[in-house]
Amino acid sequence: MTRPPNPLPTLLRTPPMIAVGLAVLLLLLGELVRPGFADYGQVTNILRIAAFLGIVAIGQTLVILSGGEGIDLSVGAVVTLGAIIIYRFTGGSDALLLPALLIALGVGFLIGLVNGVGIAWVKIPPLVMTLGMMGVVKGLILVYTGGRPQGATPPVMKSIISDPWVLGIPGDVFIWVILGVGVTLLLQRTAYGKALYAIGSNRTTARLSGVRVERMLILTYALSGMFSALGGFVLLGYLQNVFINLGDPYTLPTIAAVVVGGTALAGGMGGYAGTMAGALVLTLVSSLLITLGLPEFGRQITYGLILLVLLAVYGRERRLRG
Amino acid sequence: MSETLLLQAQRVSKRYGATIALQEASFGLRKGEVHALLGANGSGKSTLAKVVAGVVAPDGGEIWLGGQAVRFRNPLEARAAGIAVVYQELSLVEDLSVQDNLWLGHEPPARFGRVDARAARARTEALLGLFEDVAGPRFAPETLAGELPPDERQLVEILKAVSLEPRVLVLDEATASLDGRQVERLFGLVGEWKARGWGIVIVTHRMEEIFRVADRATVLRNGQVVGEVRIGETSREELIGLISGEASRALHSAEARASAPARRTSPLLSLRVRRGRKLRGLELEVYPGEILGLGGLHGQGQSELLLSLFGALPGQDLSLRLEGQPRAFRHPSEAMRAGLAYVPGDRNREGLLAARSILENFLLPSWKSYHRGPLLDLGQARRAALEVGEKLKLKFGALDDRVTSLSGGNAQKVVLGKWLLRSPRVLLLDDPTKGIDVGAKAEFYQLLAELRAQGLGVVFYSSDDDELLSLCDRVLVLLEGRITAELSHAELTRDRLIRASLGVKEVVSGEP
Repeated sequence: MTRPPNPLPTLLRTPPMIAVGLAVLLLLLGELVRPGFADYGQVTNILRIAAFLGIVAIGQTLVILSGGEGIDLSVGAVVTLGAIIIYRFTGGSDALLLPALLIALGVGFLIGLVNGVGIAWVKIPPLVMTLGMMGVVKGLILVYTGGRPQGATPPVMKSIISDPWVLGIPGDVFIWVILGVGVTLLLQRTAYGKALYAIGSNRTTARLSGVRVERMLILTYALSGMFSALGGFVLLGYLQNVFINLGDPYTLPTIAAVVVGGTALAGGMGGYAGTMAGALVLTLVSSLLITLGLPEFGRQITYGLILLVLLAVYGRERRLRG
Repeated sequence: MSETLLLQAQRVSKRYGATIALQEASFGLRKGEVHALLGANGSGKSTLAKVVAGVVAPDGGEIWLGGQAVRFRNPLEARAAGIAVVYQELSLVEDLSVQDNLWLGHEPPARFGRVDARAARARTEALLGLFEDVAGPRFAPETLAGELPPDERQLVEILKAVSLEPRVLVLDEATASLDGRQVERLFGLVGEWKARGWGIVIVTHRMEEIFRVADRATVLRNGQVVGEVRIGETSREELIGLISGEASRALHSAEARASAPARRTSPLLSLRVRRGRKLRGLELEVYPGEILGLGGLHGQGQSELLLSLFGALPGQDLSLRLEGQPRAFRHPSEAMRAGLAYVPGDRNREGLLAARSILENFLLPSWKSYHRGPLLDLGQARRAALEVGEKLKLKFGALDDRVTSLSGGNAQKVVLGKWLLRSPRVLLLDDPTKGIDVGAKAEFYQLLAELRAQGLGVVFYSSDDDELLSLCDRVLVLLEGRITAELSHAELTRDRLIRASLGVKEVVSGEP
C-alpha cells in the first residue's frame, strides 16, 4: 500500500512504454557513439528488421498470453516452411502468389492446430510439444526440398515488401503496423481476446464462466502457426531467396521480444503493443552492438545481460503494483 | 488491573498510505479467556490481530505482554515470546508430510542434537489425535499436506500453532473452512486450553461461534474500538449494531422467507444421479421462486452436486431436466446458455481472474453478446457493468482497476454479479458468504430475496447453518453423497439439521 511518490505518471511506467523509452534512449546513445546511427535511412532499416521479428512474434505473444507455460518453439521452422512453400509453389509467378500465400498460411495454421491438440487434449507441455514440432517441420522441409529449395520469388513481392511505399519507408513496416493495429484490436476488442486473457489468468475461473479452454488453446496455437507462415512470406519478400534454416534465428528472439514488451510469461497480462516495442529494442541493441564493433562473444554477452536487467526491472514494477 | 492482563495493546495506530487501518485501538486479553475481535471487513480487526502477532509493526502505541512492553520486529520474535497465530490462508508446504509441516521451524524434541524420530512421531500422533475422529482416514503423520482436503489442512495449521504451547493463541478466521463437528471439537479444546491459562484471541464472522466460545469481545469499526462487551451480558442484536454502526437491524429477519412459499407448480430444474463422482443415488427438484438449501458436513458431495448441475463434471451417470425438457450439459458454457449460473466456493481459485480488471471479471461470461460486427461494444459493456455494480452496491475505484483491489466481500459481489448480467433462471451457490463481512452478507441476503421474488430457482449450499435455517424454503441434508433428509417448514430446525448432518436418527425419548 505504501508507495514512494513516483514522478512518472502510471502510463509511462507500463512495460511497453518503458520499452519505447528504452528504444529512444538506445537510438540517442547510438547517435552519440557513432554519429549517423540515427539517420533517417538507418532508422527505416532498423524498423524493417524489427518488423520481421515483430511479425513472427505475433503468434508467440498470443501463445504466451494463453498461460499454462505457453510457448511456441516451432515458429522459426514454420517461418522457413511458409517461405519455401511460396518460393516453390509460385516458381516466380505473380499470378500464383495469392493461392501460394493462402496455402502457406493454411499449412502454418494446420501445424499450429496439431500443436494445440497435443497441448490441450493430449496434455503435452507446450515446451515439449512445440520443440517436437520444430523437429518434425524441419524434417518435412528436408523431404519437401531435398535440402536445396527450388523455385523463385514472384517479382510483385519485392514491390509489396521491400520497396518503399511513401517517405522511403518500405512496405513491410506498413504491413507490420497494420498487423499491429489488427492484433491489438483482436486482443482488446473481441470476445476471443477477452477469453485469451481469461484463460491466461485463471483457467478454472474461465472454464466455470463458460470459456471453452481447450478450443481456445487449439485456436491460439493454430493462429501462432499461421502468423509464423506469414512471417515467412514477409521475410521471403525481403531476401528474395530461401534457405533451409531461414527462420531459425527468430525463434528465441520472439520470446525475448514478448517478454521485453512486458507480457507476463505466466500469461494473462500484456499485449502486442509491448511486443512491437520489444522487437524494436532488441533490434536496436543488436544494431548498436554491431556498430560498436564488438566481437561476436561480446555482443552475445551484452545482449543477454540487457535482457536480464530488463526482466529484473519489470519484476520490481510488478511487485510494486501488486 | 493491568497485572491480570496477559496481553495488552494500548492506543495502537497503523496507517497504510492515506488509509487509517487502526486509530488508537486498545484491547486487553486476560489469562484464561477467549476474546473475540469483531468488525466488518476493513474495520481493522485483522490489522489489530497482526500487530499483536508481530506481522505488522504499529506506527504508534504499545504492546504489553505479561506486564512488559514489547516490540516485535517480526513474527518469529512474537512466536518466541509465546504468541502463536493461525490464519485462514493456509501456509502449509504441500510437498511435505503432515508431521514435517507441524514441526517446521521449531524442531520436535531432540536428543544428542538429533531429532528423536520416535518421540517426534509420538508427539505428532498425540496432536493429531485431538481431531482424529472428526477428520478422514488420511489425517495421519505421513500424509502429504497437499493431499489433505482444505478443512483438514486447516486443522494441521491449528495443531502447528498448538504444538508451540503458546501463552497466547490467535485464531484469525480459522474456522471458516471447518465443518460443524470440527468446530465443535475445536471449541471443546479451546475450553481446555483456557483452563491451562492460555489467552485466546478469535477473529471470526460467525456470530454463532462468538456466543458459543467467547468470554468477551472487542468490536472495531473504521479502525477504532467502538466497544468491549462481556458476551454473557450482550445479545446478537447489540453486537451487530456495534459492528455495523447502524441501529440494530435484524440480520436473520427471515425477510427472504417472509413471502409466500414457492408455488408447487412444475419444477424448474430436476436432477437424478444414479452414480457420480461423489454422489450416490440422489434426486432433487428446484421450483421457480424457491431457495433450496444444501446442508450437511463439509465435503459430503454438495459441491459436486452443484458442479454436476452446471455441467462441470461430465461423464457421470445422471439425468437432468430443465423446465421438463431433458438436457445434458457437457460443459459449463452449455449450462450457462440454458440460463444456469454458478458461484464457486473458492473465490480466488475458481471465481476471479486476479490479473484482470473489474470490468473483465464482470463480463467474462457475457462478452459474446456485446459484439457489434467484428468488434466489441466496450461502451455498452461498461454501462452494463456499472449498472450491476450499482445494484450490488459495489465499492470500487474504477472499472479498469484490478479486481484484486477489492475487499473480499466486494470481490464476491463481482463473482455473483457477472451472472446477473446474463439474467439467469437458476442460481447455483457454493457457500457464497464464506469469509465476507456482516454488512456484505446482509446485502447478499437482500439480493437473494429479490432474485427469488423474480422467480429464480436457487440452489444454495452453506456451511453456516443459520443461513440455511433463515433463508431456505427447503433444505436437503447430504451425507456421503446421499440425501439423508429433506427439511422444510416446521421441520426445518437447527436440531434436525444437525442430526441429519451426522446421520443420527430422531431421538426416541421425545417421541411417544
